[in-house]
Amino acid sequence: MRKKLILVFLTVFCFLIPMALLASGGSVDFKGRTLSILVNDTHVQVVDAWKPLWERETGGRINVILVPYVGLGDKMWIEFRTKTGTFDTAAIPSTWLGDVAGGGHVVKLDPLFEKYGYPDWDDILPAIQTICKWAGETVAFPYDGDCHMTYYRKDALEVPEYQQKFRQKYGYDYHMPPKDWDEVRDISEFFDRWDWDKDGEINYGVAFIAQQKTQAQWEVLNIIAQYATKAGPPTNTTSNIFFNTDTMEPLCNTPGWIEAFRTIQELTEFAPPGLLGYGYSEFRYAYVSGLAGLGFDWGDVGIMEQYPDEYGSKVKGKLGYGPLPGAKKYWDHLNEKWVYEDHQVNFLNFGGWVWIIPKSAKNVDMAYNWVVYITNPERSLLDACGIHGYTGVNPFRKSHFDPAVIGLWERGGWDSNAVIGYQKAIMDILTDPYAVTDLRIPGGERYYDALDYHLAEVLAGITTPEKACAALYDDWVRITNEYGKESQKRYYRQSLGLK
Amino acid sequence: MKLKYADHKDVIKWAFLLPCLGYLVLMAIFPLVWSLSLSFTRWLGTIMEKPQWTGLTNFRNILFEDPRFWKALWFTVRFVSLAVTFQLGIGLGMAYLLRNNFRGRSFLRVLFLVPMACPPIAVAFLWKMMLHPDIGVINSALQMVGLPKVRWTTSVLVAPFTIVMVDVWEWTPFMFLALLAAFEALPVELDDAAAIDGASNFQIFRNITIPLIAPVIVTIVLIRVIDAFKLFELVFGITSCGPANATESLSYYVYLTGIKWFDLGKGAAMSWVFLLIVLGISLVLFRFRKTV
Repeated sequence: MRKKLILVFLTVFCFLIPMALLASGGSVDFKGRTLSILVNDTHVQVVDAWKPLWERETGGRINVILVPYVGLGDKMWIEFRTKTGTFDTAAIPSTWLGDVAGGGHVVKLDPLFEKYGYPDWDDILPAIQTICKWAGETVAFPYDGDCHMTYYRKDALEVPEYQQKFRQKYGYDYHMPPKDWDEVRDISEFFDRWDWDKDGEINYGVAFIAQQKTQAQWEVLNIIAQYATKAGPPTNTTSNIFFNTDTMEPLCNTPGWIEAFRTIQELTEFAPPGLLGYGYSEFRYAYVSGLAGLGFDWGDVGIMEQYPDEYGSKVKGKLGYGPLPGAKKYWDHLNEKWVYEDHQVNFLNFGGWVWIIPKSAKNVDMAYNWVVYITNPERSLLDACGIHGYTGVNPFRKSHFDPAVIGLWERGGWDSNAVIGYQKAIMDILTDPYAVTDLRIPGGERYYDALDYHLAEVLAGITTPEKACAALYDDWVRITNEYGKESQKRYYRQSLGLK
Repeated sequence: MKLKYADHKDVIKWAFLLPCLGYLVLMAIFPLVWSLSLSFTRWLGTIMEKPQWTGLTNFRNILFEDPRFWKALWFTVRFVSLAVTFQLGIGLGMAYLLRNNFRGRSFLRVLFLVPMACPPIAVAFLWKMMLHPDIGVINSALQMVGLPKVRWTTSVLVAPFTIVMVDVWEWTPFMFLALLAAFEALPVELDDAAAIDGASNFQIFRNITIPLIAPVIVTIVLIRVIDAFKLFELVFGITSCGPANATESLSYYVYLTGIKWFDLGKGAAMSWVFLLIVLGISLVLFRFRKTV
């Protein structure tokens, strides 16, 4: 009898402990308190999905401060300067951390992790762990895994007749997805301006984001990553594309960058006529409407592909996914020579959205609880797999790729074959220990604005890649000097994990 | 002590004036002085707690080392010249044609007010959709009548004119209404006398009407020039400065510098240079107004 009682007691005990741990919101009482959240229009769907549940479980209230993407930075910086406690937490691009964390505006999270605990930190993909840290300390919560990938139309590239014609014209067989940017160029040219999907409308070879003041710079960085470095543990020559790590000399006027600018300029010839008006939204709608053969974007296209009704997708089940194309050579900037070698470099474009807690936050405990609540493995999976529709959240945890949860992806509208290919493409990039991280130093936005400014002239064909890169070099030198060359060098080296 | 009547009057006068003056000092003078003092400092708001005095460095930077500033200024000047010229020309023509009383005149007046009444950012997004190269209604209409699509917002040559066109659509009614009021205030006897003397309509318009309404024309041009120099919403909403920086206005560049990049010192200096340019042009127009 006594043994039975002990057994019952142990069984109940074993059930209660995990239940208590799982009910992360239930163990706190925020009754009478309000948490203010700053969020932009893309991510408000995530907030809307979890807000009622969190409020019910914790007793707290949530005040959502909703701003468009273009106003997010303004609102955030005004708060950082005025320190009025307008919001307790915010979802921001990780690329802003150079200024946000570099300026000391956010709460460091390692002590909070120790105090409150964090569910399955090891479940976060290594690349995403990296982008949440700055100068060795965790300053942001992971929330979204972002990297560019290659999309290609299987109903074009996989057609034997087209493959044969391509071989006749170019003398080789292309890979699927394309192996390097030379192949991208040839495939784009081959599939440009004819109706290869036989729907009665003209198709184009390639499409990408090219509108100024959107995200065009990340499209050229996809190419720069291949021609300006090779993959490896970050050093001055490997997995480093922006600055010489010893001198802080910009690398943007080296032949590797110029080659990338030349490549993207050439690709515009095989793109739809409205290319220069393609922001991320225009590009995605155009691509899932079946306009082009190749496309390079974050994981969002894959999600929009699954929804013919919501996003007008005409390509459901017709897209193939892969990593970024590589190159046949890269520029060794130390020895100033081209190194001819087939290689491929992954690049963490944008890196992903993260949540931060400003130092002026009035409710740090609530903010912590909220972010941990929505980004835990189970809830974040629902945001990433499409069950909540298009949320702007892409997979960032290892568990999101678990074969055991494919059923949830299918419930989110995915075809089972598509989801395997999609997950593999993203997983390969985000688990690559040598993936090049985005620029994360103070003034990051200014460096990128200058890149966008000169790239726009190249895309429009009104300047040469050489001139654009030379002008960009001057701008970057000026910005570096304004922020202080030595401190920028220190920050840049830290961002690469160098001492 | 008993106040004299004159002193008493002074006290009342100042009592009424003080709230206004206080408001003016707080909301206009202080920000101006503060921004002027900022313009002599280096203050990268994202990483610096306090500004550092740098004297005239920002101004030297802007005027001699920043080609982007001059490019933005050049676009703004071209935009202002074209937009205001078209608005004046079309507004003058419409006001002249519609100056006589006719059925539906009041309705037309109200109709012309609609573009002006729309918030500029709404106008920008409305036109952005209509001018979309692929799905915009304007290109669809052009195609329906057999004309080719126009790259309204994606051609380096066309986009600046697109911005001018939308601004003309929005602000021509202002010119029209102001000039219509001026026409209505003119004595008809002068026109009649000239007509009796054998003057043609064009001669009356050129030698009598225009000189009489010239002060109104200069005033409304002045208002529009000052306003057009602040071009921001249309660029922000329709072209985002593109393509290839072909439509970056000075206001937009100031916004980027001061608000987006939080380079508060340089942003303030740029604003002051901008203010001085607009003031200079305004002074020229004021002087011209006196001569007419």
